[in-house]
Amino acid sequence: MKKLTRLSFIAIAVAISGSAFAADKVTFQLDWLPGGDKAPVYVGIQQGFFKAVGIDVKIASGRGSTDAVTKIATGQSDVGSSDIGALMAARAQDKVPVSAVLSYFTEAPHAFYVLDSSGINSIKDLKGKKIATSPFTSSNAFLPLVLKENGVPIDSIKLTKVDPGALGPMLMIGNTQAIIAWVTNTALFEQQAAQAGKKIKVLPWSEGGLSLYSSALLASDKFLEKRPDVAKRFIKAYAQSVKFTFDHPDKAGLDLHKMVPEVDAKIAAAQIASIHNLVYNKITQEDGFGALTPKRIAATWKYVAEANNLSPDSLDPESIVNRHFIPKNK
Amino acid sequence: MSQTSTPKNACLQWFGKQGYRFAPAIFFISLIIVWELGCTLGHVPQYILPSPSSIVHAFFNVEFSRWMTHLWATLRVALMGFGLSILISLPLSIAMIRSELLNRTLYPMLIVIQSTPVVAVAPLIIVLMGTGDPSRVLITCLITFFPMVVSTTTGMLETPPELIELSKSLRAPRYRETWQIRIPYAIPHIFSGLRISITLAIIGAVVAEFVAAEQGLGYFIQFSTSFFKIPQAFAGLIFLSAISLLLFKSVQWIQMWLFPWSLPKKK
Repeated sequence: MKKLTRLSFIAIAVAISGSAFAADKVTFQLDWLPGGDKAPVYVGIQQGFFKAVGIDVKIASGRGSTDAVTKIATGQSDVGSSDIGALMAARAQDKVPVSAVLSYFTEAPHAFYVLDSSGINSIKDLKGKKIATSPFTSSNAFLPLVLKENGVPIDSIKLTKVDPGALGPMLMIGNTQAIIAWVTNTALFEQQAAQAGKKIKVLPWSEGGLSLYSSALLASDKFLEKRPDVAKRFIKAYAQSVKFTFDHPDKAGLDLHKMVPEVDAKIAAAQIASIHNLVYNKITQEDGFGALTPKRIAATWKYVAEANNLSPDSLDPESIVNRHFIPKNK
Repeated sequence: MSQTSTPKNACLQWFGKQGYRFAPAIFFISLIIVWELGCTLGHVPQYILPSPSSIVHAFFNVEFSRWMTHLWATLRVALMGFGLSILISLPLSIAMIRSELLNRTLYPMLIVIQSTPVVAVAPLIIVLMGTGDPSRVLITCLITFFPMVVSTTTGMLETPPELIELSKSLRAPRYRETWQIRIPYAIPHIFSGLRISITLAIIGAVVAEFVAAEQGLGYFIQFSTSFFKIPQAFAGLIFLSAISLLLFKSVQWIQMWLFPWSLPKKK
């Protein structure tokens, strides 16, 4: 039934836009619920980038990186955005038929948040502090690594795991001195802090020595093998959507709001602005958007292997990458 | 003297009577007032405990059509799962009553299914059956059918043995024994099972939405908390409980309408 309503929705959209040819259908998997960091695919639909290349995109929300990888692997979705580390960990343990085709976040989004008034100015200052995190975030695996890089012994901190929704309030009340969350949440935490009359500070792990690929575009191997032409067109339009999203955060926020009315356009725009550095940074400038360089892939795997207690030999990190679909940069 | 009451006494009596009559409503309203005052005067931030007024505000901030979309998504899955459990549990109970062998084989299996936490199995069901309606309906059905089977079976077993003896002595066929004696005796039990299950059906649908969905009230609540919109999440929660209550009441109404004799006698 749901499929029917969704299909009819797409059918109406197609009818309104007046296109008569049969478009190729692609299901896009998000790794979490819709939000500013997931905006590009919505922008691509609203701005007509996918339609221009004859593709009809259906979006499915996910519940975490591993959930997204599983859904792409089982063929419920063709392509999606998820943490490349989750794919590496999955591939090291099982032959999951999924490959990374385009980089999105070239820096890790993990961060500590502290109150401005706490006197904590860098990750090094976290020694002996109370830190709260959510139970299923991929950040937890990298926590020991970032602490080690900064000379903070892991047993010197007191770590508690709580529901993601409780993290912000705990920090504002003072139940914890730092929380772990993605930088994508900055706009939301700032809003909460303002309500409590406080200010927060972000300590991104990427500035604390943890430099690796994070969110990337993943695709099922079956999709890449059976419909390479569709994949190529999709990825090109997706890259175009990413560029548009970060060039016009306000428009992107509105596009997302149009498709998911529950998302506030302004908050989405603020989220997009707050993660600009994850997508466009020194790495992107040097390698070009979407690139997956062997050197950084190897570095990412080194971190992922250590974080997940996997043997570095359990995976050839190059085997998870498929570079045939990266659009040529101008 | 004690028989005649002064106007003052009569007035007090009237208030006492009305107070007794509306006690639940008065209690409920005072609770809301205390909550509202506590939040406002205590300066409790919205993200810790939103005040009733901010929840109402959040409720009306979401478009009516959005509420209906989410409501329909949840209700549809809940009712389909509920319907499926009725279709499964009734024949299953009859089969278990009729055959001792089936009873001994199936009952342990049912207990195993019941004692497996559906919340833990839900992600596996989604992987096996996809993200469409069938998997959500199955999750709902798994959570709802056990109380129905148990109460239906108990009800049919509680049929007075004399009546069964009588029907046997009159050489009534088995299906008539089931339909004309056992099932009518089981009706009150069946309906108490249905009442428990209908509220579980909503829980089942929400569990399924937590794992995979693009619509529905459970999805809406999860979505609101992911954006730290706590008043909005509360609004969704209260809406969900209201729907659950309404469904619970509907089962009672159906019982009153179709089987008024099966209700407990009012004193």
